[in-house]
Amino acid sequence: MTKRFLIPATVALTILFQLSPAWAAKVGDTAPEFTATDTNGNLHKLSDYKGKFVVLEWSNRGCPYTQKHYNSGNMQQLQRQWTERGVIWLTVISSAPGKQGYITGTDENAYVKQVNAAPTAVLLDPTGALGHLYDAKTTPDIFIINPQGTLIYSGAIDDTPTTDVADIGKAKNYVAAALDEATAGKQVTVSTSRPYGCSVKYAD
Amino acid sequence: MKMKPLVWPKIALPWLMLISVVHLTAQSAAPSHAKIQLIAEQTTATAGKPLWIGLLFQLDPGWHVYWQNPGDSGEPPKVQWQLPQGFTAGSILWPQPIRLGTGTVVDYGYESQVLLMAPLTGSTGRATLPSNIAADVKYIVCREMCIPGRTHLTLTPPPNGDWSRWRALFDQTRQLLPKPMPPGWKVSAESDKSSFVLSVRGTSQIRSASFFPLEPDQIDNSSRQAFASNRAGFQLTLKKSDQLVKPISSLQGLIVVAPDRAYEIAAPVISR
Repeated sequence: MTKRFLIPATVALTILFQLSPAWAAKVGDTAPEFTATDTNGNLHKLSDYKGKFVVLEWSNRGCPYTQKHYNSGNMQQLQRQWTERGVIWLTVISSAPGKQGYITGTDENAYVKQVNAAPTAVLLDPTGALGHLYDAKTTPDIFIINPQGTLIYSGAIDDTPTTDVADIGKAKNYVAAALDEATAGKQVTVSTSRPYGCSVKYAD
Repeated sequence: MKMKPLVWPKIALPWLMLISVVHLTAQSAAPSHAKIQLIAEQTTATAGKPLWIGLLFQLDPGWHVYWQNPGDSGEPPKVQWQLPQGFTAGSILWPQPIRLGTGTVVDYGYESQVLLMAPLTGSTGRATLPSNIAADVKYIVCREMCIPGRTHLTLTPPPNGDWSRWRALFDQTRQLLPKPMPPGWKVSAESDKSSFVLSVRGTSQIRSASFFPLEPDQIDNSSRQAFASNRAGFQLTLKKSDQLVKPISSLQGLIVVAPDRAYEIAAPVISR
C-alpha cells in the first residue's frame, strides 16, 4: 500500500524543492506544505495536521550538537512532554546517502528505541527536499507550526550554542518557551533565532 | 662500543614496531584532526609594548575551525587564559577568515593553519614572559563531521629553542589581521525589504570584494554577493538574513579584497 504512494510523494517533493528558493519558510508566513516518508514507510503531509501544533526537528546522531541534547535526555524530554499534550513532533533526517547521519528506517527505529526518543515520527529526507524547503541549516534546527498552519518559530533549540551537556541547565530553551506561549494562546516572544549546530549533510 | 649501534636496533626493532602499532591504534581511535599549541612571540617585551601569545591551530587537510562569527554552523574557539598575578591578556585578534561551504550552509573560518593571537600585558613596564602561562581551550573542528575538543595547554617552546620560528608565525599572522578602513573610504548601507546595498566610495582600485558580517543574523551567508564597481567606488548587494527581525543601525564586518587584505567597516544603515 505504502509503496504506491511513494512515487507521487517523491515527485511532489521534487516540485516543491524546485520552487524552494522563493519559498524559504519564514516566521509569520504559511508553512510550506510537504509530503514525506517516515522510518516505517508511512506518509506524512503537513496539511494532515491542521488543527495541531507541529514541530520539525532536524537531527543527525553523529553530530556533537545533536548528541548534546540526546545524551542529556533534553530532546527526549521535550518530545515526550509535548507529544503527550497533542503536539506532532517530527524528527527529520536530511543526510544524503554516503554522508554522515544517513540512515535506513530500520536502523533509525532501533536508534529511537535505544535512546528512548519519543517523536511522533522520524521523517527520512535523503534527497534534502524537505530540508531545502524549510532551509534547515544545522542539526539541530527547529521549526514550529501552529494549528492554522503558520510558521511561528524557526531557529535554535536554546540560547547556548555549545556542545557541552553542562550548559543545558543554564540555557534558555526557546522551543519550550515558544510552545508554552503558543499553546497558551500568547504571542511567541522569541520567534526566530540563529540555529546552531553542525551543517545539515545535504547531497553535494 | 662500535658494535652497539648496529646490534641495538636489531633487538629493539620488533619492540619499536610493536610500540608504534599500539601508538597508531590509540591515535586512530580518537583522531582530533587539530593540533593546538600555546605559543609566544618573544620572551621579553619591548619597553611599553605587550608580549604576544597565541593559540596555533594546525589542521588536517579539509578540516576547519571557525571565525568569531562562525556563519551558519559551528562555533568559534573559546579560551580561558591562566596567567600569573600581574598579567592580563587582551582579546583575540582574529585573522581574516575564508568562506567555507558552497551550498545553502556557509560558514566562516580557517583551514590548514591559523594563529589566534592576543596581547599579554605585565604590571611592570618591561614584561618578561612567565613560563607558567596556561590556557583552557574549547573548540569544534569540522570537515564533513564535527568533533568537539577541550584541551589544557601550557607554553610550547619553539623547536630547537629557535624563537625566530614562533616570531615568524606572529609576523605572518599580522599580515592577515583586518586593517582599519582606508582614510579616503566612505561606507554606507542602504536597506530595502530583502537586501542591503553596501556602498564604498573613495576608491577606484578594487576589482572584487566580499563582505564578512561580524554579527550573525544580519545577512544571508549562503547568498551570492553581487559586486558592481562604479566611478565613485563599488557596491555589494547582500541578501538579508531571515533571522533579521529588527532594523539595524549599522552593518559591521570585514570587506575582504584579497587573500591577505581585509578592512574593518561599520556602515551606517539608511532605509530606502
